[in-house]
Amino acid sequence: MTLAATYRLGTRLFWKDRGMLIGTVITPVGLSIGLPVLMRNVTAEGVAAAAHLFHGMIAMTLAITTFMTVVVAITTRRDQLVLKRLRTTELTDAQILGGQIASVVTQTVVIIALSVLAVRLLAGVPLPGDPLLFTAAVVLGSAVMALLGAAYTAAIPRAELAAAFAMPVFLLAGVGAGAMGPIPLPSFLQAALDLLPTAAVVSAIRHGEVLVPALILAGWTVIGIAGLRLWFRWEPRRS
Amino acid sequence: MTAILVSGLRKRYGAFEAVKDVSFEVPEGQIFALLGRNGAGKTTTVELLAGLQRPDGGSVRVLGLDPVADRAAVRRRIGVMLQEAGFFPDLTVAQTVDTWRGFTSAPRPRDEALELAGLRAKAATKVRQLSGGEKRRLDLALALLGRPGVLFLDEPTAGMDPEARANTWEVVRELAREGTTILLTTHYLEEAQRLAASMAIMEEGEVVAAGDMAGTLAGLRGRVAFRLPPGVGPEDLPLPVTLDGELAVCRAGDPDLAAQTLLTWAAGRGLRLAGLEVRTATLEDLFLDLPRSTR
Repeated sequence: MTLAATYRLGTRLFWKDRGMLIGTVITPVGLSIGLPVLMRNVTAEGVAAAAHLFHGMIAMTLAITTFMTVVVAITTRRDQLVLKRLRTTELTDAQILGGQIASVVTQTVVIIALSVLAVRLLAGVPLPGDPLLFTAAVVLGSAVMALLGAAYTAAIPRAELAAAFAMPVFLLAGVGAGAMGPIPLPSFLQAALDLLPTAAVVSAIRHGEVLVPALILAGWTVIGIAGLRLWFRWEPRRS
Repeated sequence: MTAILVSGLRKRYGAFEAVKDVSFEVPEGQIFALLGRNGAGKTTTVELLAGLQRPDGGSVRVLGLDPVADRAAVRRRIGVMLQEAGFFPDLTVAQTVDTWRGFTSAPRPRDEALELAGLRAKAATKVRQLSGGEKRRLDLALALLGRPGVLFLDEPTAGMDPEARANTWEVVRELAREGTTILLTTHYLEEAQRLAASMAIMEEGEVVAAGDMAGTLAGLRGRVAFRLPPGVGPEDLPLPVTLDGELAVCRAGDPDLAAQTLLTWAAGRGLRLAGLEVRTATLEDLFLDLPRSTR
């Protein structure tokens, strides 16, 4: 009944909001297909470069289609007092947030799956060698980013600022995953960026690593849940 | 049986004490009105009763359960109409009700809920196109979806036109006849007087007056008002009056008797008491009678 109901609600509202679709679906999909195709055609080692870039773009998709979507949806509904109304129903707090998170994760996974096929066809990027690991990395990575997005809303004073507050996360995820081209970074900085959940997903996809990415995602899950419990706000600030 | 039991309830926001030591109880099947002006603490009290906030002191029991600790069980048996809550503006009225039915364990059919709230004709309208009063009716439809045993209505008719307000009153009365316990807040005193069997008045977070409606009103003084005849001062009259502009107002336990006394006095002097108005006590008089310090 209930988690499914909030899941359907989240999905329905996501696809209804044309303005958000441009930012959270069309732009990331366009970039994560378009840039690898471009790379394939302009560089000598075309396919390898395209594959590297595409894997980096997955980090960007997680930062935009998952993280930013959750951040914008939750802050908007919080400020519109919709979350407050939802809390007067039989739904538990976990169902309200869980349904939202699950629907965004589904959308992200579908979008990444379509991108995988598109870059295979258009840029010759090989399909994932280990589909199970790839799928697990994308699903879990997206779930962790959505959880962190929900926790992050506590820091955002009002809905108009949601996208601006998501921007640094998007930039860090992109730079850390090499999606913005090769930027020479000091090693301590690269090491720090490698601890991002998006970086964990990319290293699992690129290098087939399992243990370290799993630990990183587990750590961020703990941080996300603790953040939600400590600071999450269901209503706008009163003052 | 007691449906709502509140004792020693307290809630503070920082240094501001929104609710101070509030106690009252509402028997099952009764309509109870929580009155008071804006900022008196009514909404905070309702949110505490509905389990949306955690009290800082005292206790709340709704149908014998703690609305915070037993949230799931309480939610299945109550309906809540908040003073202010948002909708999804791009869903239609019907889609909104259907979505909310998905959150409810044994919901009314959609059309029944819309009918109750008088919204059948608006089923296909997007929520963003509804007027304030229509949104309020959608609020009511959602609060009634689960056939609640206890209904909390925070300013249920704010923004409604007179017809919608009368319809809402009828729905509230009908629900009470069927056994629903209803707690409503309002600053329309007439609304409280027409609907509620008992009431409490809050001022600055405290209950300053409470009791059953009929008994309370019976204990209040009625009012006789008239324009003071030319050349007559208040001290000339046989009963004490206060002046409200050019109106002389006499407050009396039996306003009919007071009116007769005044008319007899006037007739004996060949005077006319123009604009004479006699009425029994209303809640408004109760408000006006509250000690100055609490107003």
